[in-house]
Amino acid sequence: MKPSWIHPGKPGPFFFAARRACTWRALLQGAAGVSLCALLTACGGGSSGSHEETPAPAALSAMAAMGEKIFNDTSLSASGRQSCAACHVSAAGHASENALAGQPGGVTMDQQGVRQTPSIRYLTANTPFFFDKEGTPTGGFFWDGRAASLADQAREPFLNAREMANADVPSVVEKLSRASYAAEFRKLYGEDIFSRPDDAYTRMTLALAQYQKEDHEFHAFTSRYDAFLDGRLKLSDQEMRGLALFNSPAKGNCAACHPSARGSDGSHPLFTDFTYDNLGVPRNPELLVNADPTYFDLGLCARPAGDLANRADLCGAFKVPSLRNVTRRQSFFHNGRFKSLKDVLTFYVQRDTHPEKWYPLGDDGQPLKFNDLPSQYAANVNTSEAPYNRLPGDAPALSDSEIDDVIAFLRTLDDDDSAH
Amino acid sequence: MLRPPFARAGLAALTALAFSMPLHAQTTPSPEAALAQRVDRLQAELDALKAQLAQLQRERAGAQAAAPAAGASAPAAAAPAATTAPTYAPIAPEQPVPTGEPATVLSSYGEINYNHYNHSSDRTQADLRRAVLGFAHRFDDKTRVVTEFEVEHAIASSSDSGEFEVEQAFIEHRFTPTYGLRAGLFLIPAGLLNENHEPTAYYGVERNFVETAIIPSTWREGGLQVFGTYGNGLTAQAGVSTGFDITKWDAASTEGAESPLGSIHQELQLAKARDLSVFGALNWRGIPGLQLGGSAFTGGANQGQPGVPDMRVTLWDLHARWTPGRWDLAAVYARGQISGTAEFNATLVGNPTLVPKTFDGWYAQAAYKVWSSGDYALTPFARYERYNTGRSYADLGPGLTPPARPTERVVTVGANFQLTPGVVFKADIQRFDVASENNRFDLGLGWSF
Repeated sequence: MKPSWIHPGKPGPFFFAARRACTWRALLQGAAGVSLCALLTACGGGSSGSHEETPAPAALSAMAAMGEKIFNDTSLSASGRQSCAACHVSAAGHASENALAGQPGGVTMDQQGVRQTPSIRYLTANTPFFFDKEGTPTGGFFWDGRAASLADQAREPFLNAREMANADVPSVVEKLSRASYAAEFRKLYGEDIFSRPDDAYTRMTLALAQYQKEDHEFHAFTSRYDAFLDGRLKLSDQEMRGLALFNSPAKGNCAACHPSARGSDGSHPLFTDFTYDNLGVPRNPELLVNADPTYFDLGLCARPAGDLANRADLCGAFKVPSLRNVTRRQSFFHNGRFKSLKDVLTFYVQRDTHPEKWYPLGDDGQPLKFNDLPSQYAANVNTSEAPYNRLPGDAPALSDSEIDDVIAFLRTLDDDDSAH
Repeated sequence: MLRPPFARAGLAALTALAFSMPLHAQTTPSPEAALAQRVDRLQAELDALKAQLAQLQRERAGAQAAAPAAGASAPAAAAPAATTAPTYAPIAPEQPVPTGEPATVLSSYGEINYNHYNHSSDRTQADLRRAVLGFAHRFDDKTRVVTEFEVEHAIASSSDSGEFEVEQAFIEHRFTPTYGLRAGLFLIPAGLLNENHEPTAYYGVERNFVETAIIPSTWREGGLQVFGTYGNGLTAQAGVSTGFDITKWDAASTEGAESPLGSIHQELQLAKARDLSVFGALNWRGIPGLQLGGSAFTGGANQGQPGVPDMRVTLWDLHARWTPGRWDLAAVYARGQISGTAEFNATLVGNPTLVPKTFDGWYAQAAYKVWSSGDYALTPFARYERYNTGRSYADLGPGLTPPARPTERVVTVGANFQLTPGVVFKADIQRFDVASENNRFDLGLGWSF
């Protein structure tokens, strides 16, 4: 039996679909109504709800504009070579633009990150970490959900020795005080702001969060799939087949954790339910920390705060990422073990039917499944739900051509960054 | 049972007589039909009782200055049991103005059921299905408020499975003896069961499938309704109301396969109300013992939500009931359709439960009172149902269009035992042709007053 929190087969969010319908009321309102209707239809309209489609980019507020400057400023790192944008590259969907499992960082850029860079798009609807009423761990930022908000998240990379590697908050703020936009920062937050490093740091991270909240690019909803949901285009036959396989509980069952349907509030899907799962991803020797055979990245149960240290059942669980812009990525999963979507999907459906393809063989010739977890936590791996609920010799849940169909569908989730 | 304090001999007798066949009393609430049943069953006594009743009313009218209006407007001689018993259960639009009823009356119904599954005894379950309290308060001879509060599954709290619901809450006003108006949260007139859903009002432990899976009983909406009751036995109801919300459709769950409309009804809970629905029902009871009727409901279901295609839910039914002698025969056919599903479903392909284009079902039921003694009455029955919650789906292209669901066929055989008016014990067995794992034996206890 799997812990109940593992993808608890819950009914997804309520679903609804398709295109913007212009109401009879709008029509009854005469020409003005019709033109409004036409306008809304033309631009695809905005979905309601917390993760609202922002209208065409408006000028950023002063705070958000400040956040943008900070986001792109390499001078805030100890190396002077790394900014937020260095790892969260816009062209790559605000994830890493290369295939490295961990990005270089540190004072001399000789350190390697221990986890793959997650995309920071489509996070404005995320919540602080919590257990839902069924006990499912949900929400939070980072792969282990340890940060409670975008601003909270923004506090860490500046101080992470493997990333921007500043010694402490005052040293970050000292760098900020020398930035080209320092005067603007003072104007925004007070002439004496740099004399209060903690206050300045808080405002700096709030500005970063505000930038992510306001800048359209972080939640553009400009993918072909969004247009499809709005009835503005049709997907190809292959893409539709891929969508069906993606949704089908008996096939890909992807939508169980990566919901694909609109919410009842009209919101477009984020392709993550912000929960956690333990997939038993193979160990990745590319991560230098893995040279130590006693090192294991245990994810949720090993958060630095130790708050879940007594939840052994959560060891090995990592956050479900959004699949928007996933085809722009070049490495996948928390440890960057896979480098192509084809491999990712094949792993999903053949992990249990052909484990020898993914795991090293033991002395007895048997594959050492789930080799990136200490053996006592192997039972935490999700083996109960499709497509994992198979045994060696069984047919995989998806064939090779079906995997191609799903990938074709996933390509519809790429934002069209030229749209605005 | 709560009874009006004025339940003197004549009224009490009428009540008892009507309750002696609670199914009839509950389900044929019109004055004409009630009269027809009494004629059918108690012809010899009827004249005497009516005379007694008239005498009582005259006496009361003389004693109460406010009474004349009621006396003038009410076809009180034909008052059905539902009026004399302070229940609003068979919320018939045509309830006449009572003459001596207290201003405020309490009522209740409830049922406790036991289901034993033949092939999986681990699913055996006992449940307080519902306990309902209600009150009706009469402001004056023409105007009253009717409410019904329901607890399902015994306990309703944030950590329990039960629900607490306001099932009805409406104002009723009579303009004339023929015409009246309702405003608020009321039951939609559809089928035989929806407006008469108390356990004493139907055969079998569980409500039939056609009138739960196709007609989403207990189905209520908020709105405005006018009704008319005519001398020829015809009852007409029509109105505008809230409707369904297609954005509640959960393609990942099986809820929509169990009851397509039950999964998207709103129950006047923060109901999206841009799209008003219209409905109407006609029932004819011009021949004693016979009820023929039909209903229709239609309304937009996208509620103006962005990105949702224009969709319309339409549900109609035809129903008949005939109660010759000891027999009680009933049949219902109901059919629903939802337009715009192709576009809606296209984004949900591959999910287990897409929105059907059509769904329908019918049942035929026969009951026969084999024995009665005093208030006791034993009435075996048999019911055959065929229904399909996914009769057809809009075409999405090869490989993507869901196949039509199989048509379920259910045979229910059992008996209702009336302990006393308003209390019924039930037992039945049910056999399912498709979902045979659900074959079961049921026991039930119900009350209503």
